[in-house]
Formats: sequence, C-alpha cells, structure tokens
Amino acid sequence: MSLWVDQYRPRLLDALHYHRDLSSRLKSLAACGDFPHMLFYGPSGAGKKTRITCTLRELFGPGVEKLKIDQRIFLSPSKRKLEVNIVQSNYHIEITPSEAGNYDRLVIQELLKEIAQTQQVDLNAKQRFKVVIINEADSLSRDAQAALRRTMEKYMSNMRIILCANSTSRLIAPIKSRCLLIRVAAPNRKEMQDVLEHVSRRAGFDLPTEAADKIIDDSNGNLRKAILCLEALKMQSPDLTGPLTIAKPDWETYCQKVADLIISEQSPARVMEVRQKFYELLSHCIPPTVILKTVADRVVERVDETIKADVMHWAAVYEVRMRIGSKKIYHLEAWVVKVMSLYKHFFYDMDLSGFD
Amino acid sequence: MPHKSTKPAGTDIRAFFGPGQSAQSSSSSRSKTSSGQVSSSKSAAPSSGTKHEVIEIDSDEELSAHKKIGQKKPSPMPKSKSQPSSKTDSDTRQPSKSTGKSFKRKKNTVLLSSDDEDETPPPKKKTAVATSSSVNPRPRPSTIKDDSDFDPMDVDDRDFPPTNSVKSTSKKTATPKVDKSDSKVKQSQDKTQDVAQGAKKSNWAAKLARGGPSAPGSKEVPDGEPDCLAGLSFVFTGELSSFSREEATDIAKRFGGRVVGQPSSKTNYVVLGEDAGPAKLRAIEKHGLKTLDEDAFLNLIATRKGPGVNGKGLDEKTRKKMEKEQEAIKSAAQEMDKREREAAKQVRTSEGHTNAKSTDPSAQLWTTRYAPQSLKEICGNKAQVEKLEQWLKDWSQSLKANFKKPGKNGMNMYRAVLISGSPGIGKTTSAHLCAKLAGFTPIELNASDTRSKKLVENGMNINNTSLDGYITGRSANHISGVTLTDRTCLIMDEVDGMSAGDRGGVGALNALIKKTKIPIICIANDRNAQKLKPLMGTTFNLTFQKPQATTIRSRILSIVYKEKMKIPANVVDQLISGAQSDIRQVLNMLSTWKLSNDSMSFDESKDLTKMNEKYAILSPFDITTKMLGPYLFSKTSRETLGQKMDYYFQDHSFIPLFIQENYLKSQPAKIRDLDGPEKILTQLKLMDEAASSISDADLVDNMIHGPEQHWSLMPLHAVCSTVRPASCVYGAGAHYGGPNSLSFPQWLGQNSKQNKLSRQLGDVQTHIRLKVSADKPEIRQSYIPALHPYIVQPLVDEGTSAIADVIQTMDEYYLSREDWDTIVELGVDSRKDDLILKKIPTAVKTSFTRKYNSSDHPIPFHKAQDLGKAPKKLAAEAVPDLEEAFDLDEVVEEASDDERNEKDTDIDNDKLIKAPKKKGIVKAASAKTANAKATKGKK
Repeated sequence: MSLWVDQYRPRLLDALHYHRDLSSRLKSLAACGDFPHMLFYGPSGAGKKTRITCTLRELFGPGVEKLKIDQRIFLSPSKRKLEVNIVQSNYHIEITPSEAGNYDRLVIQELLKEIAQTQQVDLNAKQRFKVVIINEADSLSRDAQAALRRTMEKYMSNMRIILCANSTSRLIAPIKSRCLLIRVAAPNRKEMQDVLEHVSRRAGFDLPTEAADKIIDDSNGNLRKAILCLEALKMQSPDLTGPLTIAKPDWETYCQKVADLIISEQSPARVMEVRQKFYELLSHCIPPTVILKTVADRVVERVDETIKADVMHWAAVYEVRMRIGSKKIYHLEAWVVKVMSLYKHFFYDMDLSGFD
Repeated sequence: MPHKSTKPAGTDIRAFFGPGQSAQSSSSSRSKTSSGQVSSSKSAAPSSGTKHEVIEIDSDEELSAHKKIGQKKPSPMPKSKSQPSSKTDSDTRQPSKSTGKSFKRKKNTVLLSSDDEDETPPPKKKTAVATSSSVNPRPRPSTIKDDSDFDPMDVDDRDFPPTNSVKSTSKKTATPKVDKSDSKVKQSQDKTQDVAQGAKKSNWAAKLARGGPSAPGSKEVPDGEPDCLAGLSFVFTGELSSFSREEATDIAKRFGGRVVGQPSSKTNYVVLGEDAGPAKLRAIEKHGLKTLDEDAFLNLIATRKGPGVNGKGLDEKTRKKMEKEQEAIKSAAQEMDKREREAAKQVRTSEGHTNAKSTDPSAQLWTTRYAPQSLKEICGNKAQVEKLEQWLKDWSQSLKANFKKPGKNGMNMYRAVLISGSPGIGKTTSAHLCAKLAGFTPIELNASDTRSKKLVENGMNINNTSLDGYITGRSANHISGVTLTDRTCLIMDEVDGMSAGDRGGVGALNALIKKTKIPIICIANDRNAQKLKPLMGTTFNLTFQKPQATTIRSRILSIVYKEKMKIPANVVDQLISGAQSDIRQVLNMLSTWKLSNDSMSFDESKDLTKMNEKYAILSPFDITTKMLGPYLFSKTSRETLGQKMDYYFQDHSFIPLFIQENYLKSQPAKIRDLDGPEKILTQLKLMDEAASSISDADLVDNMIHGPEQHWSLMPLHAVCSTVRPASCVYGAGAHYGGPNSLSFPQWLGQNSKQNKLSRQLGDVQTHIRLKVSADKPEIRQSYIPALHPYIVQPLVDEGTSAIADVIQTMDEYYLSREDWDTIVELGVDSRKDDLILKKIPTAVKTSFTRKYNSSDHPIPFHKAQDLGKAPKKLAAEAVPDLEEAFDLDEVVEEASDDERNEKDTDIDNDKLIKAPKKKGIVKAASAKTANAKATKGKK
C-alpha cells in the first residue's frame, strides 16, 4: 500500500481543498486556448506539484497520468556522460536539470530544442502543444536560465514551459517576465486541518482535534510533512488519544544533538567533534542550509536572551556565505566557532562589542 | 597581529645587506672600533681572557650592569657617524688582518646604524636575562638612541675590575670581560649624553615595563675571535629570545662550533631557550652538561679565545687532530698536484704523436679534474661502493655459475645493479671507477642518447639477428665507438630519464638485463618511480645516501688547498650542508667563486648556497607541521609573508585542506602566557579568527575556480586559507603521532561519500518519482524517515515474517533492493546504517534478498544509450532470470502499461536490471529451483 500522502493525492483541480480561487483560475486558463508559460512557486509541501498535475489533467485529460521514466545520456563537452531522468507522458515531459549539476545548460538546450522541434503527433490531443515541466527551477544555473530565455519565445507554438520553484529570488528577471507567476502559498491552519480530516476520513478513522493541532504545529505549513506525520502517529498509537509525541526525523534529532554539543562545551576538541557530525549530516544528503537552520534554532532556544540575536545574525551571515561558497563545512564550522566564542564570552560576562 | 608590525622592519634591514646578515654586519661594527680607536683594548683582552674564573654575583642589578658593559663595548661608534665618509675611508685604507670581507662590511655598518635608527623604534628592546626572573633593560648598542638611554648604573662598573666571563652550570649568567680603558672612554661619552637626554629614559622604561616582548634582533652577536668555538659542540633547545634557531646555529657554526641535534656526554654546552624540550633537559641532567642561556652563549663567543694561527688556544687533543687533518689535506692536495702534472706531461708528450683525447687539466671542469681516481677517494657510501666492486669482480664466476650462487652479498644472482640516490653524490663516478678498477671497459649511455626499445634492441643486438657486421664489414657489436667484449660494462645512466622519446626503452632494457653476458649498471635518482617498476625484480638495488658533511669536507678542503683558496672548514661545512651534500654543486660553486675571490667568509658562503638553493618540495604534511608549528610565526622567525605564502604554492589545492583539517590541533602560542578564563576566551577568539578566515578563503576559492576564473586572486587565497589561520593558531602540539596528530583532510573522503549517497538518493527519487512529487532534499528529509517504519523497521521487529509486506510496499514505490540499501545507508543517528543492519539478523537479510530476487518487480524505467537516438527498447518488469516466469506474483502497475507491451529482448544489456546477477548471492539451492522453474516455464 502507498503512504497516505500519495494515496489520497487529489487528481482534479476541483478536488483541491484550498486556494480555490487559484484552482478556478487555472481551470479557466486551461479551458481557453491561450495557455501561457507558468512559474509555480511556494514553499515545499504547499501543493505546487499537485496543482501542476491537476492542471495538466485539465489540459490533456487522463492520458497525462500514464507516466514513464526515461533515462537520457548527454555528453558534456569534455565527453563526460550525464544521466538525466525524464518523466514523460504523451503530452508532457518533466525534467530536473539540476541533476546534471554544472551542465544543466546543456540539458536544457538539447532537450528543449528536441521537444520544441517536434510537433504534437497525437491527433486526438486536446492541445497542439506539449508541456515541459522544469523542476527545481531555482537551482538552475544562470547559463541555463539564459539558455531558456530565447527558447521560451521561439518555440511558443509547440511548447509551453511550467517552472516549479521554491522561491523566485534566484531566477533571472527575463524568465520571470516571460511567465505567469503563480504563487502557491502554504496552507493555513484551518486549511491544513480540513485536509487532515479529509485524509483521516478516507483512511477510515476520526481525527481528534488535539492530535490535528499537534501535527499542524509540528509541520510548519508543510502539508506533505503533516500527512506523513499523521500516518506515523496513527501507526504509533492507533487511537490517537492521550499524550502524543511526534517522532522527529532522524536528522532533526541529530542536529539537535549537535546544538547541545555546542552549548555544553566550547573547546577545539568539541569543534572537531561537531565537525565530524556535520560531515555525517552533509554526507547523508541533508542540505547544509537546513542543518544550519535546525542547529541554530535549537541553539537559540537554549542560550540566554541577550545573545540570541547575535547567534541568528551570524547564522544568517554564514548561510549567505555558504550559498556563495563551495565547501559548506567551512562556513558551518566558522559559525560554530563564532557561536562558541560568543557563548563563552557571555558566560564570563565579557564585553561583546568586539564582535560587531 | 603584533608580530607583523615588528617583522617588516627586521626584514628591511636584512634586505639592505642581503639575507641573514643583519646580526653579523652590525657586530662587525665592533671590529671596526676595536681595530681602530681602541685597538689596545683588544689586545689586552685575550691575556686576561685566558684564565676563566668564576665570580659570585650577588644581585641581579650588578649582573645586569656587567652585561651592559659587555654589550656596550662599541658604543663610541655612533659618534663617528657625524662624519661617516671620512671615517670609513680611513678605516678601509688601514691595513688589517681581517682581510677583505670586513672592509666590505664596514661600509654597511655605517649604513646600518643610521638605518636602524630610522626604522627600529626604541621599544624594540629586550629583557636581557632569560633565566633570571627580573627584567633587566638592556639597550641596543648600535643605535644612538640606545646610547642616549644609557643608565647611570654604568658608573658602578668602575668598582668592578675587568672580569672574565663567568660560565656556570647552574643559573649563573656569564658576564663579559670588559676592558677598563674601553669602558672608561665609553662611559664618559655616555654620561654626557645621558644628562642631555635623561628625560627620554623614563619613557623607554615605561614602554619596556608594558610589553617587554622577545624582540628579534635585539641582541648583538659579539665579535669573537675567528674559530673561538672550535672544538666545542653545542646543542640548542627551546626558543631563544632574539635569535631564531637557525640563526643561533649559524652563529655557533660561524665561530667554528659544532651543532648537534641531541645532547650526549660529549656535548660541551647546551644553550637553553624558553620552553626547552623535556627530553633534552633530562639528557642534560643525565650527562651533567653545562648549560648556557642566550646571553651567556653570546658572552662565550665574545670572550673565548680562538685557536690563533697555530691552534695555541686549544687543548692538546684537538690541536693534534687538527694538525693531522691539515696534514691529510696537504698530502691529498700534493697527490692531486702530482697527478695533474703527470697528466699534463702526458698531454705534452702525446701532442707530438697523435691527437690524443686527454686534455690539459686546467681547462677541465673541477668536477672532472678532481674526480676521484681511487675507491679511497670516493666520499661516503663506502659499503655500497665496495659491494659494487665485489659484484663486478665476481662477475665472471657468476656468469659461469649461471647466476645461481648468491655470493656474499646475495648480489651474484643479479645480472644488473640499480644505483639510486640524489644528484651529485657520486653515483656515476663510483660506477665508472668500480668498472675500471675491476678491469671492465665502461660504456655509458645516458639521457643524451636515444634509448628507445628499437635502438636498445638493435644497438645491443639482443635478438642477435643483425647481419650488419658481416655486410658492412665492421663489428655489429659496438656502441658509441667501443667494441663490446666480455670485459665491457654497460652503464645505463639516468634510466629514470627514459621518457617519451624512449618508448619501451625500460622494457627493452629489462629484456636485455635478463640475458646479458656483461654487467649492467643502471643509475637513477628515484628508485620508486613508476617507470622503473620493471627493473625492480631484475636488478640488485644499491641505494646511495647523501654523504655526511664531514666525509666530504676533507676532500673539498684539499681541493681548496690545492687551488690556493683560503676557505675555513666551517665555511666549507656550510657550503656542503647548503647544497644538501651535493658534491658536484659544491665544486661548481667553488670553481665559480675562484674566478673572483680567493677566500670566502661564512656569510658569503651562506649567500652563495642560498643563490644556488635547490627548490625542495615538501610534503603537505611537512608544510602543515611547519605552518602550524611554533616557529614559523614566532617573533624570532625571519620568514617574510612571501615566503610563508610560498608554502601554500607548493601545493595550492592540498595545503588549504590540510590547514582546515588541522588548525584546531595546535596549542596556540599566543595564549601561552595567559591563564584561566582569559586563556579560554583568547583561544576561542583566535579560533574564530582562523575559522572565519578559512570561510573567507572558500569565497575567494569560488571566485578562482568558479565561472569567473579570477586566477589573480591566488595570493589572496594563499593568505586567507593558509597564512592567516596559521598565524592565529600557530603553536606546539600538532605533530605526527599522539592524540592531536595531523590527519589527512577528511573533506576529500566525506565529499566523495556525499556525492555517492547523493547519486544514490537521486536513483531513489527517480524510482519513486511516479508516486512522489517531492524533490531530492524533501525525499531525504520527509519520505525516508516516513518510509523507514514500513520497509526497514518490520525486518528489525518481526524478522522473516515481515518480508512479504516489506516487498509489497517497496513494489508500490518501485523501490529496488539497492534502493532499500540506500535508504538504510542514508540514516543518521539512531537510524545509522551500522546500527540498523546489526539489528537485522543475517538470516532475515539473506532471506529478504532471496525472496526479493525470486519475484519480479515493477520498474518504471528504461534507459536510453545515447542522446538523439530513439530509445531502443522499453524495459518493463525486471524479470529474475527468464522471461517466461510471469506466473509468479506479478505486480503490474497501470502506469507502466505501455512498457509492458514492449518486448524486453535484451534484458542482459540493461544495466538497471540486476536480478540475474543477484543469483550469485542466492544460495545454490534457490538457483536450482529457479532453473527448475525456468525449464517448467519454457515447457
């Protein structure tokens, strides 16, 4: 059996629980012949992908749900082989160019041209164009985004592009101006509760309000997380009553342990211990920004009021550096040392002015 | 960084005189004054200096007073500066026994003192007595400022008769002997100045009280007699306050002392600095050695009497030894002379007959002219050379015995010898000489000859197919003009230089070695080179070590004598150690030097070796030890920023990683004197500085290696990534071994692990893509923890009974068995793969694998081979080992409808379908059943 998130995922625009005006707009867009390029953005777990698939279904009918995965091999200029997975139906194609790392421009150029230059062959298709969905568009390199610009105009007759991103800040302005921007905001509490109740009804049980509250608190607007959490909770204690503790994912508890290590001792040996743990997290595919955020949150929880602002300030500074730089661990470690130094100075009630 | 501010000043002064001269040149100022104005004092000093008496010193005050006088000796000098030009002129014209070098430097002296005055501010002074706890201000003698600061305490000196140096084994410091007349003159001058500038004194004292840091160059090297330390051996330990270790050993060597690394019973003095090594202290105690502090050491130089012209000052034994050495040198030189004359005669006689090859020796390079003519003359590696000779002598017997008898050294099993060692230590010379002495005619092939496979084979006639000899009418067996006989020895020089042009040369050489009937001597620098691998098995390995300086010294000295140059032994030693025992280089340096000069001073030799310095490549470990070690950034270090950056450029991709990995492992020297909370806080601050600098460096690195490619930022990266962090946290502690040993950068391993797991996670994402819309990080952060209770935990809790459910869930998400491994591997903390896998019994694991492989699973997937081509086939389900096994529990997804229609003809080519391969893991029994099924299916 599938997880509930996947099992009870809405497939039609009408079945979506929240952002109804957005749904109706998407529906009318799909109905009229002039479908624009679109950029969906919003936090993860807000329902971007779900809306995109629903829109596709609205455009092309149930045929888009017949998916297959195709693996393509591109040759980089240095003859390195790049494997890119492509999810496609007869009517659309979905790519994640960031899989190709630095060579995403190549993938965009080759693949989009190939698709754009072939006409829709299925005469029964509702639309004359194919749709290309580009996932993680905010991690596209600048070159790749530039490569996208002209293609978007030139091949408009054969192809529409739907970009899906977490934020638009890393997208270049020309791309944004060529797309219809659609913001998919995270659901509010009420909306989340509705969805959770709907899921539990479909799964055949009643969700107590306290449990729902707890889940909503924990999931921080991420509906995917909320539903996964609901399922885990249901598995843990089937009646969902009594004191509930939501089990944190492994990496989160690990990050908190790191934070505790930072607070409990400040010494070179401890920094090296923390470095080891950071390596562990990084190598297990936890994004560095997530690590920094989780650890910083925990540290801030535990330190005194007066240095909270400083801790967060430096976390922000080093997050920016991390995004610019390439060796993330250096910046994580620099932050840790900074926090240790701050903490110790505070501990000995020293003057903190030297840190600005 | 306080030390940074002081360092450039020191460097500038040195730059003025060339490297490594500052101390010496300023000290020479004294030689001027003593030779000129107060020459009487000079002559008087030695007489009183001969008797060493120990005097008791009551108080530190007196002590310091004495010391001051000792150092103050040359203070009249600055006075002369008022008319420096005339002074210098008169000086230079004055005949002096201290030869040309001192003249040269005299000019410098004048410049130096003015220079000093401008550039070194008064606070650059030093607490005088390292061992005593009191701080004794002791101004620098060579500057006017210092003179003006002179203490009234000097008046006390008159109460003391000129004393001899006090050498004590315990804490007593030595006072220099001071000539009365000298001090009188000086004091009268000083006093007048003192009155005039009395106000400045307090200021200076205040500054001193505040910091009192160890300042480099704060002490003068006294102008001792040449070779005054001859016959003494020194051990330096700890850090001296005003000299770096290198400088201190240089000083000792300059005055003829011997510097050894470890104290032994034969050591005369141990010079103790700050933080002396405990092992050395123990050794001192054990052997009851005399210890000196920095000042006492300087005083020793100032007061000890040199051996004089004929070694009067030395004890009997040393003198005898020296005489013997001299004798040997002379006789060797005579021998050389004789040989040369003979050769010249031969040339003359042969001139009339033929156009002989021998040339006039004086026209030859020194290296050929003074090449050793007998085994005795070869410097160092005696054992190796003897072995080589023995092997050549035994050659005919070995050949007869078909290389079956090992012989004494086990060498007679080999048809060839590989000599390896660094350049210039006599490998080629020894090979030639041994061959000649054993009665062989050496034929040398070196890198200037082409030695490709073909040429080696043809030239040596390995295959014996050539009829050239018969056809052309000359012997085919001849190389480079020498006929091959059974008394020929082939010397393949520079075999590691067989490069691109000599394709297959090493292989052919190896083939040749396997069947040669003449001895072959191969010579290489690096035995471990990849290229020389084939030779390893077939040749006997003789490694030549760099000879000790002492073994070369006498030879060089006799050559020097023969060439009528005046170069003392300590200078020769310096040349040899500077050239890293490269005899050839030493000879070349000397022959060039001879063109302009007949004598050489210690400092000149230092410059010369510095100029000819071989660029030594250090390993990243060595560089990191150096960078983070206590000396490179210490106050006495003389390295400039550029030189520190050069360490980075030795391996600019590796060094930053090493620094980052290890910068937390040292005990920062900057916090050494602190205590309590302050120490901790300062340490954290230093760490913070270092860490943020490393973080800066990463940003710079991104500018360099990123799309922008600003390669001109490399020096900035050097500073940010290496020099600055090291300058913060340098100190003792990070060494090989021990709990804080240097380690190899983890980043490399962790990064590749990250890439690997990220790729595997990518596979998982693609597999579950049809079900799950999340991106990669979201899958790791939400899905994997959510899936864990369904596909991993049941195996831990329930064991075998859960396997069916697990497989079903996996199929639901198109997860393969490898994906299961990935999911387990991606766990951290309590879900760390080791912990989880330990909890699952092996039986469950194997039965899980077996069961998974025995059924077929949906794969949402197919793989194209190339871009542009239409996908060849659409693989549907992974079928274990036969296509017909559909009757098993087949799970068909509606999503893969169209894929199912495709015929999966070439499953074997499909990389993603691993099922058939898995059979190896599955036990034979299951394989059998599978086969049975297969046959059944086929029916």
